Amino acid sequence: MSENFLEINNVTFAASDKNKVSNVSLNIENEGDVICLLGPSGIGKTTILRTIAGLEKIQAGKIVLKNKIISSKDIHIEPEKRNISLSFQDNCLFPHYNVIQNIEFGAARNEKKKKNLSIEEVVKFLHLDHIVNKFPHEISSGEAQRASLARSLLSKPDLLLLDEPLSNVDQSFKEEIQVKLKKILSELKITTIIVTHDSYEAFYLGSKCGIILNSQLRQYDDPYNVYHFPNSVEVVNFLNRGILIPAKVTGENSLENEDLGTIKGNFIKRYPKGSHVQLLLQPEDLEHDDKSNLKLEVVDRKFRGTNFIYTLKTFSNLLIPVFVHSHHIHQHEVDEKFGIKRPINIDHIVCF
Amino acid sequence: MINYKKINIWYLSSFLISIIVAIPIVTVFTSFFETTSNYSAILKNTFLYEYIFNSIFLLLGVLILTFFIGVGCAYVVSFYKFPGVNFFKWALILSFAIPAYIYAYSLTAFFENFGTAFSILKNIFGDGDYNSFIPKFDGMLGAIISISFSLFGYVYVLTRASFHYQSQNLIELGKNLGFSKRKSFFKIILPSARPAIVAGLSLVAMETLSDFGSVSFFGLSTLTTGIYNAWISFDDLTLANRLAFYLLIFILGLFVLENFSRKKAQYHSPPKGGFKSKSLVLLRGKKSLLAFSFCFVVFFISFLFPVLQMLYWTIIFPKHFIDLNVTELFLNTMLLVFLSCCILIFLAFISNYGNRVSKSKFLEYLTTFSVSGYAIPGIILAVAFITFISWFDNTVISSFEMNSIKSIFIGSILGLVCVYFIRFYSLACNGIKSGYLKINYSIDESSYLLGYSKFKTFFKIHLPYLKNSILLISILIAIEIIKELPITLIMRPFNFETFATTAYIFASQDLLEAAAAPSLFLILTSSVFILVTSKYIIKD
Repeated sequence: MSENFLEINNVTFAASDKNKVSNVSLNIENEGDVICLLGPSGIGKTTILRTIAGLEKIQAGKIVLKNKIISSKDIHIEPEKRNISLSFQDNCLFPHYNVIQNIEFGAARNEKKKKNLSIEEVVKFLHLDHIVNKFPHEISSGEAQRASLARSLLSKPDLLLLDEPLSNVDQSFKEEIQVKLKKILSELKITTIIVTHDSYEAFYLGSKCGIILNSQLRQYDDPYNVYHFPNSVEVVNFLNRGILIPAKVTGENSLENEDLGTIKGNFIKRYPKGSHVQLLLQPEDLEHDDKSNLKLEVVDRKFRGTNFIYTLKTFSNLLIPVFVHSHHIHQHEVDEKFGIKRPINIDHIVCF
Repeated sequence: MINYKKINIWYLSSFLISIIVAIPIVTVFTSFFETTSNYSAILKNTFLYEYIFNSIFLLLGVLILTFFIGVGCAYVVSFYKFPGVNFFKWALILSFAIPAYIYAYSLTAFFENFGTAFSILKNIFGDGDYNSFIPKFDGMLGAIISISFSLFGYVYVLTRASFHYQSQNLIELGKNLGFSKRKSFFKIILPSARPAIVAGLSLVAMETLSDFGSVSFFGLSTLTTGIYNAWISFDDLTLANRLAFYLLIFILGLFVLENFSRKKAQYHSPPKGGFKSKSLVLLRGKKSLLAFSFCFVVFFISFLFPVLQMLYWTIIFPKHFIDLNVTELFLNTMLLVFLSCCILIFLAFISNYGNRVSKSKFLEYLTTFSVSGYAIPGIILAVAFITFISWFDNTVISSFEMNSIKSIFIGSILGLVCVYFIRFYSLACNGIKSGYLKINYSIDESSYLLGYSKFKTFFKIHLPYLKNSILLISILIAIEIIKELPITLIMRPFNFETFATTAYIFASQDLLEAAAAPSLFLILTSSVFILVTSKYIIKD
């Protein structure tokens, strides 16, 4: 028998021919683990959650929860018998009950379970105090989403599925709720799968992240690895953190790019000397240096609060993003020259 | 194609109900494969074109009149503030309480030679030859007026609901584009309400084409009376069915035409986000008087006039009122209402829920097909039912050597309720369906995921949510059954009378004054039901 809490073996998740994720295999090892699935809109992330919840059937493969097959070609446990809770992205509160009654629906399930979480506690941490007596049509979509989250949390499921749980939540609450949500999930050991398109949210909440692209699970790994060691060009493009530039491997720890010159660092994968590769250059890989003789033209500057992201044009018209701390005294305007520190040192070199 | 994996108890129940309701439609269609009597050939050469022409003319007349009255009233009470506007909002719905045939009695009674109008003029101005000046509303004109004033409520209610939910943004958009009020009305307000207007007019069209009481009272030959004659006078049921099929095709043609002309235009306004409720325009002086007068005239003609006429006769001919067994008629009517409502609501719920949980396209098409029986005239439904029971009794029951079931279903309360069920199933089914459409499917899924079974979801989530819809539909069914005439006439048990049948029997014997009291009680009973639900009717 399996030792994993949840096992998904070679399952194709399909709501329609267009909306399908094929041959997915992933495990959640321990009870209480939280994983996140990331991917662009319409790729089939929600279908995955719906299928795990039992709202869609599967044609091949199997899903095993706590050593029990809940979905396979021949077995389909009905959603109401799975003890899996799904919090939908859209408002799906019962329209004829007020917020607190909706939340109580969740609490009424598994009342005898040990996981102790009071309604008051959840209402407070999700900032629902002021709307408990209102009806769903009287509250905002962000509030409805939080109420739905409260209902799901209180149902004390074996597996909690959250579909874009904070997508409509105000930015001012978002971080605070993320922190408290993480704490509650961890304290109550609620195994959770979160679907989101916000990579920061996924990296923060998930102990593992799955990247779904082109109808496939392209990478399933620790958030750190997903970010720093993307396993394909598609993942790089999706995370949108850097660009790929052409380079030639010149030694065990070095490459050469015709615009940037020598780049040094540790390869995460060996390439033969002289081979031509695509080097992943992330914004934090380059350092600003006003005194450097490598000067590139600024074509754009974005202010992001703690930092600026400069977009620089190389001699061969490549556009390279560079982070600069926003306290840096000297700001560069568009069309000005911007110095890059040489030699360029990158902690780990990712090539394709 | 049928997906066999979807078949469960809900699916089967829904399937069975739809099949039962669809039997008369199939019966009507199969008439093309059966032989007809000589009357068919005679009819083709003589009256058929007259029937068709009269039906079309009647339909066009009623549609035009109901459009102007219904949309006009809906517009005035939805966009303007004037004295009495809140009263007219619900008072105009009271016209639902007046069946077209009772309106026809009142119209005739008032304008006929030496009728009420004559008496009024005589009392005011003394003796005179007033009959030659008093207009006569009989034949086609009488039928158009009677049917229009009794049916315009459909257009009024649906259009008013559509106007009510029209966003202020839409009107402000017109202003921004520099539209005058007139241009805003024709370019924005009216087109936005088009689906509602068309839905109202479709109901009017179906009711008009299947009307029997008023056209037969005015002696107007239409397809409906043709159907009746084919069956009663010539005993040619096949021809009656075939004529009913022409009627169905005619109505279907209207729907297709409208749908085609609409193309891909969308009219739906999102209920949330961007919706801004309207600020009403306060009318003063002459405009205010004009709006009040328009609404009052419509209210007077559609409701007060027939009520006063019936009241007048009831008072001046008290003998008929005293002879009337009001309690018995009331209890008979209510018994039919109660039984029919219970069965209709219960089975419509099962059918809708079956459709919802099985998500079967086949079942959905079958249900849509079966509810189109609403367009079949009551006479045909009754006849088709009797034909079916007779066939079933003669073939199936007799082959098992069991007792005949004819007496159970023909000339009995059970049979009557069965035909009511087929006739008004679309009302119940569509009513509950529209309630269900407001419940997002993810609501059901949320319930399953909270551990509730389909059965529990039905009782804990759907029933409480739809209780207002159920009340509204029950009342609408009640009003229809109180007013219903041809089915009750044909299917009722011996000596079992309702207000409607009593009024009709007196009127058909030219005893209009005797028809007044049962008509008045019919109107009063319907009005009470309408008043109870007026706020829901206006809203939904």
